[in-house]
Amino acid sequence: MVAKGQKRKLRREDEGGGSARESQLQSVLDISMDKFHRDQALVEPCLLRSVLINNTLRQVQSEVRAQVESLSAAKIPAKLKPEPDFTQLSPPAEHHAPLSSPNAENTEDDFMAWTSEEDFSLSSAISAILKDLDAVIDAGQGPCASQRAPLSSVENLTPCPLRTERTSDMASSIKTELMCPGCPQDVALDKLLLDIDPSVFEPELNLLQGFSVTADDLVKYLPSLSKSPSASSSSSLVSRGQATWEIQEIEHVMDILMRTYPQS
Amino acid sequence: MMAGVGGGNDFQWCFSQVKGAIDEDVAEADIISTVEFNYSGELLATGDKGGRVVIFQREQESKNRLLSRGEYNVYSTFQSHEPEFDYLKSLEIEEKINKIRWLPQQNAAHFLLSANDKTIKLWKISERDKRAEGYNLKDEDGRLRDPFRITTLRVPVLMPMDLMVEASPRRIFANAHTYHINSISVNSDYETYLSADDLRINLWHLEITDRSFNIVDIKPANMEELTEVITAAECHPHQCNVFVYSSSKGTIRLCDMRAAALCDRHSKFFEEPEDPSSRSFFSEIISSISDVKFSHSGRYMMTRDYLSVKVWDLNMENRPVETYQVHEYLRSKLCSLYENDCIFDKFECCWNGSDSAIMTGSYNNFFRMFDRNTRRDITLEASRENSKPRAMLKPRKVCTGGKRKKDEISVDSLDFNKKILHTAWHPKENVIAVAATNNLYIFQDKIN
Repeated sequence: MVAKGQKRKLRREDEGGGSARESQLQSVLDISMDKFHRDQALVEPCLLRSVLINNTLRQVQSEVRAQVESLSAAKIPAKLKPEPDFTQLSPPAEHHAPLSSPNAENTEDDFMAWTSEEDFSLSSAISAILKDLDAVIDAGQGPCASQRAPLSSVENLTPCPLRTERTSDMASSIKTELMCPGCPQDVALDKLLLDIDPSVFEPELNLLQGFSVTADDLVKYLPSLSKSPSASSSSSLVSRGQATWEIQEIEHVMDILMRTYPQS
Repeated sequence: MMAGVGGGNDFQWCFSQVKGAIDEDVAEADIISTVEFNYSGELLATGDKGGRVVIFQREQESKNRLLSRGEYNVYSTFQSHEPEFDYLKSLEIEEKINKIRWLPQQNAAHFLLSANDKTIKLWKISERDKRAEGYNLKDEDGRLRDPFRITTLRVPVLMPMDLMVEASPRRIFANAHTYHINSISVNSDYETYLSADDLRINLWHLEITDRSFNIVDIKPANMEELTEVITAAECHPHQCNVFVYSSSKGTIRLCDMRAAALCDRHSKFFEEPEDPSSRSFFSEIISSISDVKFSHSGRYMMTRDYLSVKVWDLNMENRPVETYQVHEYLRSKLCSLYENDCIFDKFECCWNGSDSAIMTGSYNNFFRMFDRNTRRDITLEASRENSKPRAMLKPRKVCTGGKRKKDEISVDSLDFNKKILHTAWHPKENVIAVAATNNLYIFQDKIN
């Protein structure tokens, strides 16, 4: 038996209104991340609980990915053939790649070079994310840290201004990037950031749902799902997994960024 | 067969007894974690978070008190498990009793299995009401007699004494579970039993403690690929080669131990296809099965997930034959229940003696009964307010929307800290035991 409200909700999503769904997505993500981190702090978290929370996080992640896909698919011109590269580049949820990150030092330097011209909170937030994430990863996987792929210099890429459809532009730029198998994955992150028009940023981020993003918050939101519930697991870096995880991270960061824009 | 054994509105449930402290301040150790009647219903055992087992015995029905059946009084209390420390992993092992299962009675003594997260113990509960007197070599107070003073030989005689109930651990089954034990189940051969943790199920012989057979192992090679755990397991009541186990994804697997030593491949796989229109982020969590129980007949099994109870025919794997909604009004509150962790609560369920009714708990100290024949259901409350002797329990109702009628309670007023996770139904009569945090309520149907 289907409740009335459910059906109406589905129709609203089809029409693109889905803000209730999005806000639930956000709530579930917040709560799940909070629980995930709390459980990580425990010596022996309950395995059933950990598995259920992890599966929920994976579900949220795939929902975010699906939203990104649908947004970018809607805006990409016909000549840019939409290949199903998402499946190639991002593995199925079960084969969860171990945590890795782009070379944060380079990113940070590039960031600093770029943002020395314009000072806005989001780029610093993103650099803070990457720095913190790097610290987390280094703590967990010491010897593997050196295997990170270096980011190419930001100086070679030119920023382009964003207009009202900035969300879709960003999505399309990401999608374009991801659809070139030959492109280094690390360039995607730079492109993402350079696509942001600094002039549209207010000193205080005023979001649609009224939730404010701080660097700490953004760090929290990035799922570190490869941390296994059991205490006795040792993860090894696989370069493909590393690349695919970066894609996931990019998508996730992008989603956070999308939320900073008032959707007109 | 007892005339008219059933549940729901056909019977009038009355308060009989309540055990436990009345204080508002509940000590963590006193929280009841398992309740189980023995095979005859004469004994009722409870386990708590403090590792203690309390056994109640039903007094003989006296002719004077015609209005109620015998009451349950404390028979034996003992400390089953103590907190332990795993030095290798630097982990504390809780003494909380997760499950108690009785063995069928074969002599004057009673035997039960009690399990915490890691260890199962077989306890013998025996009575002593006689004492030997007139020993030759020692005095009544136990002191050795001077051999030179013994001039005659006498035969000790058995003299009555005050009844003493002793509980002694006869077997300790340890070091077989890496993960937390969630179920134990005695096999119908009365020689073996199974114990299940999150990832493995072991088969034990009651006489042998130094080894067990692993019969199910779902641990993946890479723990990062783990997406499903075992939540409950039970032996078939008649076929000693058959057992079932449920999972966190809402599936039940029936295994036949004759097929292979390792029962990783199921003989039957029970899963209800998901209704796509009701899919949400919480679909998987609420589908996780918290309890599985075979019917006494062995033809059906019942599973409890977060919002419903389902009865399955063992001959039909693709869907349950009956589904009962326990508290459907919580479906719109799942996000909050996820946030406050209530969504992870593990409710148990039980059959009545004739398999015509089932019972399970809910929040606000409510518990629900469903009559399978009439399809009627009833919600009752275990509370001190309704605890006058032989007071009839009034059906409760939760208001789901619109104008709240008198005596109804709105969903937002429910107390989610008062949860009834453990209930038990007497195997032969309409007597039920309901654990409400640190109190044990016993209800009976009114004798006409």
